[in-house]
Amino acid sequence: MSIPSDLVELLPARERRRAEEPARRTRRKLVAIAGGPNCGKSTLFNRLTGLRQKVANYPGVTVEKKAGFVTLPSGRRIELLDLPGTYSLRPGSPDEVVVRDVLLGVQNSTPLPDLTLLVLDSTCLDRQLYLCMQLIEIGRPVVVALNMMDTAHEEGLDVNAALLGRAVGAPVIPISGRTGSGLRELREAMDRDVPPPRPVTRTLAEPIQEAAERLARVLPSAGPLVGLNRFHVAMALLLDEGEDDSLMRAVPHVVRREVVALRARLDEQVPEWRSHEPIGHYRAIEDLVRRSTLRLRPERSARERIDRVLTHRIWGPILFAGLMAVIFQSIFLWATPLMDGIDWSVNAAGRIIGPLLPAGPIRSLVVDGAIAGVGAVVTFVPQIAILFLFISLMEDSGYLARAAFIMDRLMRGVGLSGRAFIPLLSSFACAIPGIMATRTIDNRRDRLTTILIAPFMSCSARLPVYALLIGAFIPNRMVFGFVSLPGLVLFSLYAMGIMAAVGVAWVLKRTALRGPRPLYVMELPPYRVPQWRSVLLTVRDRAGLFVQKAGTVILAVSIVLWFLASYPKNAEVKPLEKRLQTAEAQGLHAQVVQIQNEISGVSLRDSFAGRAGRLIEPVIAPLGFDWKIGIALLSSFAAREVMVSTMATVYNLGDADQTSVSLREKLRHAENPATGARAYSPLMALSLMVFFVLACQCMSTVAVVRRETNSWTWPIFMVVMMNAMAWIASFVVFQGGRALGLG
Amino acid sequence: MTLAKLQPGARAIVRKVSGAPELLRRLMELGFVPGTTVTLVRRAPMGDPIELRLRGTHFSIRNTEADRIDVDPF
Repeated sequence: MSIPSDLVELLPARERRRAEEPARRTRRKLVAIAGGPNCGKSTLFNRLTGLRQKVANYPGVTVEKKAGFVTLPSGRRIELLDLPGTYSLRPGSPDEVVVRDVLLGVQNSTPLPDLTLLVLDSTCLDRQLYLCMQLIEIGRPVVVALNMMDTAHEEGLDVNAALLGRAVGAPVIPISGRTGSGLRELREAMDRDVPPPRPVTRTLAEPIQEAAERLARVLPSAGPLVGLNRFHVAMALLLDEGEDDSLMRAVPHVVRREVVALRARLDEQVPEWRSHEPIGHYRAIEDLVRRSTLRLRPERSARERIDRVLTHRIWGPILFAGLMAVIFQSIFLWATPLMDGIDWSVNAAGRIIGPLLPAGPIRSLVVDGAIAGVGAVVTFVPQIAILFLFISLMEDSGYLARAAFIMDRLMRGVGLSGRAFIPLLSSFACAIPGIMATRTIDNRRDRLTTILIAPFMSCSARLPVYALLIGAFIPNRMVFGFVSLPGLVLFSLYAMGIMAAVGVAWVLKRTALRGPRPLYVMELPPYRVPQWRSVLLTVRDRAGLFVQKAGTVILAVSIVLWFLASYPKNAEVKPLEKRLQTAEAQGLHAQVVQIQNEISGVSLRDSFAGRAGRLIEPVIAPLGFDWKIGIALLSSFAAREVMVSTMATVYNLGDADQTSVSLREKLRHAENPATGARAYSPLMALSLMVFFVLACQCMSTVAVVRRETNSWTWPIFMVVMMNAMAWIASFVVFQGGRALGLG
Repeated sequence: MTLAKLQPGARAIVRKVSGAPELLRRLMELGFVPGTTVTLVRRAPMGDPIELRLRGTHFSIRNTEADRIDVDPF
C-alpha cells in the first residue's frame, strides 16, 4: 500500500509565504545539510562555505548550530546550515531532536529550510539510504549529494545516480568532498527550484496505515507543520515518544490526545508496530540498492589489515598508550614555550602600554586588570589548539572510534564509555581543553558526568602549588628505604584526584544523572587520510569559540579580582611611597625593590581581598589556614598557580615563584601573632594541598563549563560540590592529624 | 543463539531483536532487521565490546546489547 495521494499536501511554501508575509521576501534561501555521521558532511560544508562560518548554540540545548554562506552560480547568496550527523529522523538524542525539529520547521529560531542537501556516503549506501527514505517522505525539496564516489570507485563499486534520482524523485549528484569534483554541478542544482521528491512506495500493516491516516486528518491546517506531508508528520508523532517531545508540543492538545489514544490502540492490535517502519524502509532500500549499484570487483579495503594491528589484543592497547603519551606530553610540554611566549608578550605589552598612561588607577586597571586578563584567556589557546589538532586528526582518520572501542570496557567501571578517556586524560594537563573535548561523547548524561569530574584531575596549574608546599614542608627523606617522601606525597595527590573523580562519577550516575542505560552503538568508520583544511578549521573554531565565549567571562572576572586586590587604598602606603622616592633618588636599588614589595604587601593585605581573607578565616581555621592563606585561596580563583605569587606578595617578597628559597623559609618560619608559635606545620601543608586537589579554584574552568553546558546550573553545582568536598577532606586531614598528634 | 555468542569471524542471520521499545527501534534503524546478514569481526582487547559488520558498515556494540539479538548462524 502506498501513501494516499490525498494526504500528500505539497504546497509551494515559498510562494505562500511571499503572499502572506511580504517582509520575509528578503530572507535568504536557507539550505540545511543533513547526513549520517562520517558521511563527509562537514568536509563538504567547509568546502562550500570556505571560511565564512559562524557557530552558535541552539536555544536551551548544548547542540551547536553551524552556519555559513555560499554564492551560487547565478550570483545569489544562500545560507547553509550544517545539521548534526544522524542515522534517523526519529530522535534518540538532543542532536537528533534538533535535526528533526529543523527539518519539520518546529525549531525555535530556525525557519523551515527551503531545501535540504542530503549527503550520502556512496561506499555504504545501504545504511545511508535510511535517512533518505525518511527525508523524502517529509515532502520538502531535497538534493542528494552522493559523496565519496571516488573512494567507491577505488573500492570497486559503481552507483547509477540517474536511476537512484528517478527512484527517489530528487536530483542525485555524484561528488567528492575530498577532491572537490562534482561541486559545480551541486551548486547549480541548489540554484534551481527543486520540486518536492516523490516518496518511495512502502508497505505498512493495515492498523498502522489506518492510525496514521486518521491522525493526518485531524492535524491543524494552519501554523507550523503545514506544507509538509501529513502522513509523515502523523508517523513522526506516533513514533517519536521522547518525554516532553518538542514535536508533540508543536501540535494542539486535541491532536496530542489522539496520538496517545492511537499509540495505546496500536500497542494492543500490533504489539511490534514500532518495528514496521524500519522493516518497511529496509525492504525498499534493499530493492533500490540492488537496482542502482554494481559491484565491479570483490570488495578490497585496507581497513581489515590496519585494524588487525590497531585493535589487536596486545598491540592495540600498546599503540594506544603510546599515542596518548605523545598527546599528553604535547599538551604538557610542547605548549609551554608557546605559553611562555604569550606570558612574555603580555608582560611586554604591559611595559610598553603602561608608561603611556598616567600613573595611578587607570594604568593599574589597564596593565594589571585588562592586559593581565587578556593574558589569562590567551594562555589556554596553545593547549586547546594542540589537543584539538590531535583529536580532529584522530576523528577524521577514523582512529578515535577505535580508541573508544579499546577503552570502553575499562571506562565502564565508572559508568562511562570509551569516549570519556581522552577528555579525562587531557585534563591532567588542563581541564579547559579536556572539558571542551567532551564534545566527542554523544550521550548527554555521560558527557555531563565527564565534564563534572574532569577538574578533579590534577592539572599543570596545581603543580607550582604542590611544589611550593612540598618543598617547604615535606622532609626529603626515604620511606621503606627506596621511595622518596616528597615523591610519594605528590603521587598520592594525583591518586586522590582520580579517586575523587571515580567516586563522584559513581554517585552522579546513580542520582542527578541517573537515566535509562543508553544504547552504545558506535560506527567504526573506514580509515581515511585526514584533510588538513578540515583539521585546521576545527582547531581554529575551537580556539576561537573559547576566546569569544569563555574568554569574555574570564576577562570580566580578572578585572573584578584585580579591583578586589587593589582597593581600597591604604593610608600606610603614602609614607612608604615617600621613602620609595627618596631611595630612588639616591639610587639604592636593593632598598627600592624592598620598599616596592612592602607597598604591594600592604596594599594587598588591606584590600577588599585581604579583608575577605580575614572574613573567611573562621571558616577555614578548622582546616589549619590563617587569613593570609585565605587571601591566597580567594585570589587563586583567577588561576591556581596565582596562589604562589599571592603568598609571596603577602610576605613582602614581590614576585617570587615556587622554587624561591626565601618564600619557603618565610612559610616555614611564619609565626602566629597571637601565640608566637609556628603559623604553618607540615600537617597544614598537607591539608592545603588536599584542598587544592579537590576545590574548584579556577574561573576559567567555570567559564568553559558554562559555555559547554549552555547553562549556569552545572558550573554553580560544580563549584559548590567541589569546594564542599575540599573543605570536608581538608577538615578530616587537619583535625584527624591533630587528634593523632601529628600537628 | 544470540549475536554475543558468535565466534570472531563467524556470520549469522538476524532472526529477532528484543528489548525496550526505544532500544529495539534504534537497533532496527541501524539495520538489525530480521533477515539481515551480520558478521562478528572481532572482540575488543578486553573481550567487550564487539565489532560487527552489517550492511557494509562496521559497528561496535556491547555484549549486553548483542545478547538481545537472536541469530541463526551459517
